[in-house]
Amino acid sequence: MSASAATLEIRGVSRRFGKNTAVSDINISIPRGQMVGVIGRSGAGKSTLLRMVNRLIDPSQGSIFFDGAEVSSLQGSPLRRWQRDCAMIFQQFNLVPRLDVLTNVLLGRLNHRSTFSNLLGMFTRTECAEAVAALERLDIARTALQPAGTLSGGQQQRVAIARAMMQQPKVLLADEPIASLDPLNAKVVMDSLRDINQREGITVITNLHTLDTARAYCNRIIGMAAGKVVFDGAPEDLDRDAVRTVYGADASGAEISEAITSTSVTIKPKILASAGPLEPAFPGY
Amino acid sequence: MTSATLHSDATRQQADAWRRQTSLRRFYTALGIGLLLVAMCATMWFADEANAGHFFDRLPHLLDFLSWLIPKDWNDVWRALFDIASPNDKGTQEFNFPLGRVYVWGGFYIPEYFELMLTTVNVALVSTFIGFVFAVPFSFIAARNLTPSPVLRLVVKRFMELLRAFPEIVIAGLFAAIVSIGPVAAIIAIGLHSIGALGKLFYEINENIDMRPEEGLRAVGANWFERVRFAGLPQVLPNFMSYTLLRIEINVRISTIMGAVGGGGIGEELKLSISRGFGAKTLALVLLLFITIFLVDQFSAWLRRKLVGEQAFLMSA
Repeated sequence: MSASAATLEIRGVSRRFGKNTAVSDINISIPRGQMVGVIGRSGAGKSTLLRMVNRLIDPSQGSIFFDGAEVSSLQGSPLRRWQRDCAMIFQQFNLVPRLDVLTNVLLGRLNHRSTFSNLLGMFTRTECAEAVAALERLDIARTALQPAGTLSGGQQQRVAIARAMMQQPKVLLADEPIASLDPLNAKVVMDSLRDINQREGITVITNLHTLDTARAYCNRIIGMAAGKVVFDGAPEDLDRDAVRTVYGADASGAEISEAITSTSVTIKPKILASAGPLEPAFPGY
Repeated sequence: MTSATLHSDATRQQADAWRRQTSLRRFYTALGIGLLLVAMCATMWFADEANAGHFFDRLPHLLDFLSWLIPKDWNDVWRALFDIASPNDKGTQEFNFPLGRVYVWGGFYIPEYFELMLTTVNVALVSTFIGFVFAVPFSFIAARNLTPSPVLRLVVKRFMELLRAFPEIVIAGLFAAIVSIGPVAAIIAIGLHSIGALGKLFYEINENIDMRPEEGLRAVGANWFERVRFAGLPQVLPNFMSYTLLRIEINVRISTIMGAVGGGGIGEELKLSISRGFGAKTLALVLLLFITIFLVDQFSAWLRRKLVGEQAFLMSA
């Protein structure tokens, strides 16, 4: 097809759960190295879309291509190899809480090695060193020997990123990576994702709940509503009308204030002043 | 004026309906208990009629066994326990304690009953181990959330039900015919039953695990074995150990009973000495059994507390 190297192509993908259509007929092409933010209300199908790319969920219709090869029809070990190349991090981190942090990071290597040596937990010295280096890069190497379940949310998400990096992925999917985190940890996590995107050239696709995060970190934003793509463009093009199409307006016709959901640590004080005269919802526009 | 009169008709109607419903429920409970009592009395009467010995006629003889059980010389209990020669020995089997000595080296010996007890405990340990080794993989196949294939799941579940369905004694009888009477038949029987019993408990634990780690490893590209090993096992192992220790307690008792039906060990000796009316020997055996089971239970309770207690602490952190 026309796909250039390492392009992720989603063609006519739908997913139904019983009678509900979570995702309907989505067509997206994501070239290598983009940092894409997917926004939309809860239930718009963002998670389902990401899970279909990683094949945690299978599409009901349509197909997904990576680098010209169809990944939506893979089974068995080719499927697991694709999952290795397409790392994913989750809102709830999905680490193994009782295993220590370093082991959790090393589990990212599972698909690079033989099942037998995996089951015995025999990881090489090089791999251990790589794992420690990944933790160091995320500034949590000192937690390496603790059980992952004892870490704070922000630390756990960084462990999850380290595990994803151990997979040596070509694409990194992030499903609401900062939804359970405080603003400061959210910034650390988003900064690491951007760092991975810019330094390694890995395509990053992340579901986000906060508009200002999407604007600040992503160079392309995809807005979803009721399972369909309703916006696809640069952050600069996400104007008031576009936001209204993605999120809709509330019953009173009032628009969404980014300040309410903002996780920015340097929030502008004038947005907080709600007692004053009405202000435009998006002061920048 | 009471506050009740202040309420509206609708409220009062609802309250009345609730009271009617409650009294109806009480009536059914009372009726149920009454029927149960009648059924129990009827069953007792039937059992008494059907029983050749007649329960009520024989009731006065309940304590007859004490006449032979109480030894003439209480010291014989200790002598029987430690295989020390008794002055009451008149050449009969009742007081031939030193004959049972199992010499290890030189003059050092293990008393017969301790050796038999060791056999019984060993049978319990080996069969629990067999049960554990097979129950772990079966339990992951049988768990709805982790099974590699629904068909295989049903096969394994039915197989474990089959193992549980037959009492150990029945299986032991079957295997005694094949491998002859002795501890091996007992081990196979208790081991098979333990696979079924532990497997069921284990897979129910597995079905309650947190699936997020499993999803995380699936997204890494891990295969079934790796997901079970790294996402499943760490979550369930403390509970597995706890149930296995419990199973050891149960299996010590069962392997004692197995002895009585030809499975070797202390049960065999106990049955012999009861049937021959050897008071001192019987008391020594019962005492040893009692102490052993008490120690096994205490030890496993302590170990379980340590295992699960630590994990509970980890979980809350």
